[in-house]
Amino acid sequence: MSKPLAITPEAIEAAFQERGFVCTGEVATTLFLAETLGKPLLLEGPPGVGKTEIAKLWAEVHGSDLIRLQCYEGLDEAKALYEWSYGKQILYAQLLRDKTGDLLSGAADLRSAMAMLRGEADGFFSRDFLLPRPLLSAITSEKPVVLLVDEVDRSDEEFEAFLLEVLSDYQVSIPELGTVHARHRPRVVLTSNDTRDLSDALRRRCLYLYVDYPSFEDEIRIVESRVPGLSVALTERLVRFAQSLRKADVKKAPAIAEVVDWALALVAVGADGLSASVLRRTLGVLLKNREDVERVLADPSRFRT
Amino acid sequence: MIPAVARFVDALRDEGVPVSPAEVLDAARALDAVGLEDRARFRAALRATLAKGRAHLPRFDRLFDRFFAAPARGSARRGEKPGEAGAGGARAGGEGGEAKRSRPREEPRRGACPARDRAREGKTGAGDERRERLRRAIARLGEGDSRREGRLRRVRVEREAHAEARGAVERDPSRRDLTRPMTTDEERRVAREVPRLVREIRLRAGRRLARARRGRLWIRRLFRENISLGGIPFVLPFRRRRPRRPRVVLLVDVSYSTARAAGYFLAMATEFVVAGRDARVLAFVDRPVDATRAVAAWARRGRRPATQAPRSAPRGRRRGEGIESGGLSFADLLESLPGLNLAAPSDYGRAFHALLHSHLRPGGRDSVLVVLGDARTNRFDPLPWAVEEVSRRARAVLWLVPEPRSRWGTADSALADYLPYADVVVEARDLAGLARGVAELVRRL
Repeated sequence: MSKPLAITPEAIEAAFQERGFVCTGEVATTLFLAETLGKPLLLEGPPGVGKTEIAKLWAEVHGSDLIRLQCYEGLDEAKALYEWSYGKQILYAQLLRDKTGDLLSGAADLRSAMAMLRGEADGFFSRDFLLPRPLLSAITSEKPVVLLVDEVDRSDEEFEAFLLEVLSDYQVSIPELGTVHARHRPRVVLTSNDTRDLSDALRRRCLYLYVDYPSFEDEIRIVESRVPGLSVALTERLVRFAQSLRKADVKKAPAIAEVVDWALALVAVGADGLSASVLRRTLGVLLKNREDVERVLADPSRFRT
Repeated sequence: MIPAVARFVDALRDEGVPVSPAEVLDAARALDAVGLEDRARFRAALRATLAKGRAHLPRFDRLFDRFFAAPARGSARRGEKPGEAGAGGARAGGEGGEAKRSRPREEPRRGACPARDRAREGKTGAGDERRERLRRAIARLGEGDSRREGRLRRVRVEREAHAEARGAVERDPSRRDLTRPMTTDEERRVAREVPRLVREIRLRAGRRLARARRGRLWIRRLFRENISLGGIPFVLPFRRRRPRRPRVVLLVDVSYSTARAAGYFLAMATEFVVAGRDARVLAFVDRPVDATRAVAAWARRGRRPATQAPRSAPRGRRRGEGIESGGLSFADLLESLPGLNLAAPSDYGRAFHALLHSHLRPGGRDSVLVVLGDARTNRFDPLPWAVEEVSRRARAVLWLVPEPRSRWGTADSALADYLPYADVVVEARDLAGLARGVAELVRRL
């Protein structure tokens, strides 16, 4: 797995292909650039086009760990960067109380007791009690890792600003300990579903790639590689069906994974066409909204062309 | 950095895509990494570094296709479009003017005759009865489809379209396309429009010109001179214009392709700026020649009552034969200029370089350079930096392009390199366009 990868766009494309991911030239080139320029990569696009998958495979290709930071509203530094382990610290305090009794028994008064204490190490805020969260573990990791900051558009703007600071220098300052520098520059991938406009500053620091739904040909390649047992004609028809659904204003457009699932379902029921009865039985795999399903079943021919 | 990419970044910014200097550096590094051989990769590299947002992608794609189109029609690297690119930005130049950074576009030759192009594309719009007639003409011709017949048909349609275009022009000679072949008589007919257009410009600029002659009220001196009169302004001192270095430099390409436009332009421009007094005229084909005195004399002849009848026997098909002033044709004027080699291939880079190092170079905050030319520089090095240098020293650079806009920057035209340094660009394919250019000049006097 960790065989060194010659970094060229072709090699990346081939490595992704090998792992069953249909990788367009643009994706490969951008990943190549992220690697060569050492910049974070911002992937944007509708849900379900494989943005997270790209990051996962990117880690796999490099044979490195993937550290994932899932963003959500209210995510703050403590949850993303580090926390102090309070339980351990309380235990340590108890230990201290016992030990200091013995240690300070020789002291004549309070002043000399303080002086003696000062001589001992202050272990209260040390690495032993630090609980690293994804960002810190990505920075302190022994091996280079891929840091995936997933759905960064869901986080608050304050967190985005904080992220910016981390991404610009790859260092974190912990007031009690000082500044922690990255041992290896992590490969950073950010994904966004474009629900909120990210700040220009963040965009400036990243390379940008808009991942859209695949083209007709690419999606056929994807389905073919994932669902080998499907006839060519049916593959084409189901992909065309899914693509026209995306163009129509359905509430939830089918993601690539759902199209693949649907193809698997069609194989499972042994369908050889998209007849009304086949659709009725399997459409739940593709569409996850009742109104959408009803609309399509009412007039399926609209989407077959 | 590749100049084309730099210009591309400029255009992106003009279109409202924010591109920071850091991103430009990223783009340069990215191009370094992916190389220039593969267009898709080149595009991906620029896309990843310059267009950071879904809203910017369509604009990026549009501009990219325009800038880095696959070479077509013999022109390899220029592919930008005027109008749109510059619409958002910079100093606009009023009527007929274009902003800085507007660039010509590359596309198959069209616009020279819209009717013909529409015929070629098989598109017809509703309404316009001329177009309708054309459509019917095509329908009449459209039988059989062997290749030869197809070609024959096209030729005939084109010919009809030409006839259409000529018909339109006969109604208004000032709209006659000067780049098309014209007989001497046609040239004369167009030249007859010159006084009318000059009058129009003069009317428009009347007040401004009067004020310019008299000068502005000199406020500081007004107080000083009227102190002895109790501060009541009995004396109104005016600030006279001081004589200066050449305020206007007319750099005129008189090579075959633009000689006719140059003649009409000088005939009109000399009505407003007196050659020798406030304007210098430099004519060039491959190197500039000071034509100030000759042009001044030529213009003066026209103002005197005609002493001799115009020579009626044309000496051949020279351009500018029909543009006469007091019996002397522009073609003769050009031939009389010492040092001007009319047969040389035009070389804009050399002309600008020579201008830059000449004592006639426009300089100072009220100097205006007017360039008339199509920038067809025969693949000689265009030396755009020389224009930039001149442009930096002059207050304004006006560029009159005697060519339909659709042909700007195509083939051997270096217009794309020059236009970023022009403040106003005027499409001067016909007399009306030239008059617009002259009006732009007058506005700046």
